[in-house]
Amino acid sequence: MSQAQTVREPVAEKTWEPKVVAFLCNWCSYAGADLAGVSRIQYPANIRIVRVPCSGRINPAFLLRALQNGADAVLVSGCHPGDCHYISGNLAARRKFALLKSLLQYVGIESERVQFSWVSASEGGRFASIVEKVVEQARALGPNKKLAKSL
Amino acid sequence: MTTSHELETRLRETAERLLGEKKVSLFLGYEKASLPLRTTPLFLTAAEQAARLAWNPFCTANLAVYLPRLFKAPANAREAKVAPPPPTVAIVLKGCDARSVVALLQERQVRRENLVLVGVACPGMVDARKAEIALGDHEALGAGEDARGNVRVVVDDGTEVTLRREDVLADSCLECRAPAPAVYDVLLGESAEAKETDAERRKAAEFESKPIDVRWTRFQEALSKCIRCNACRQACPVCYCKDCLLDQTRPRWIGAGTDFSDVAIYHMVRALHLAGRCTECGACARACPMGIDTRLLARKLTLEVEDLYGYRPGESAEATPPLSAFAMDDPQEFLTEP
Repeated sequence: MSQAQTVREPVAEKTWEPKVVAFLCNWCSYAGADLAGVSRIQYPANIRIVRVPCSGRINPAFLLRALQNGADAVLVSGCHPGDCHYISGNLAARRKFALLKSLLQYVGIESERVQFSWVSASEGGRFASIVEKVVEQARALGPNKKLAKSL
Repeated sequence: MTTSHELETRLRETAERLLGEKKVSLFLGYEKASLPLRTTPLFLTAAEQAARLAWNPFCTANLAVYLPRLFKAPANAREAKVAPPPPTVAIVLKGCDARSVVALLQERQVRRENLVLVGVACPGMVDARKAEIALGDHEALGAGEDARGNVRVVVDDGTEVTLRREDVLADSCLECRAPAPAVYDVLLGESAEAKETDAERRKAAEFESKPIDVRWTRFQEALSKCIRCNACRQACPVCYCKDCLLDQTRPRWIGAGTDFSDVAIYHMVRALHLAGRCTECGACARACPMGIDTRLLARKLTLEVEDLYGYRPGESAEATPPLSAFAMDDPQEFLTEP
């Protein structure tokens, strides 16, 4: 984990494309992304999906690490409230996310860099449009320089 | 107002009684330190030594930090067989320290039945660094308190200087909203009043009102002094995890150096861990050798938790901490909709 992802290739400004890391819960959002794929719904190829068992599994440190290691934005998506496979993982996660988001904004990191949403397994179209929106906003913000580690 | 001298006498009587009657095996309090403007924690086990106890404007330390390790559970069954029974402890608590004990009770780190809480109505404690700055070139040789609660310092040229208490109070004391202990078995002194109930919110709002890039610059300025000594974690009464995220190396979540991204992430993660648990005692700020306002982020999250979930830490041992709970209708305006 520690050494693997620290190498970042220098990219010329005009070819810069935002990198978005998406943490998707196994039961809803990952299946939603899958549905978008099998339904052949187009969405930007800028996202890198990390499958997690539940949005409740996500530690805010995951998202901060992603930003530190060169992600330009992070997307977290889980089941809609009430639909969690583990009954309440997403509800417990929601409190953590609310605090993380306001903390980032407080210290001066654009709040669009970390985004949260609920996507169910049947919402392929919704998943695609959320990805489009997140990538668009990341592109507008430009490269993440504040938290990225540059050694 | 009960003077510090009276409180000190009553504190000594209380300690003598509790230890003499074998109600407790350990009395945690403060002792005069070798330097003026400071005190040192005292672990008292004999009633005859109660006169060592001190109570003055310099009793800043949060003694609750020692409690979890006194009640540490044995690691395994073999250790449990030979482990001595948990001690009975009396502890001197100011308002903030009492809140820390409540947080530890909520998280099952201490046993209420083994504790005697000696609450003291706190008039606010002196920040030794602020006092030293106020003295300028002079060095303090001795310090005490006058009848109005102001600090009197004998300095190196033999003269006596009086510092107004309000000018040298610790920041956390100026922000304190409840200086009187919320839980106690014995209460010494009359009720203390908050200096300014809105100071914390005012400070956070002031920072928040700046444009985003200014906030980031301020945040960088404030934290780039950090040398990653982890003193803030060690001093914190609610940072008791045996395996801290910071000490893990597989994976190493947070780099150990002073690269700014590591420093920023360290302070953000610590603030998130303290959300809804920080009792605002200011132990982290006092411990910081670089004079960082370590409460910059925790202050914001305390207010955020209060606004979103209507919870203030350390008020009741029966309440559930907000990050251990949830509600179907928690606010979720922050979500991204397509």
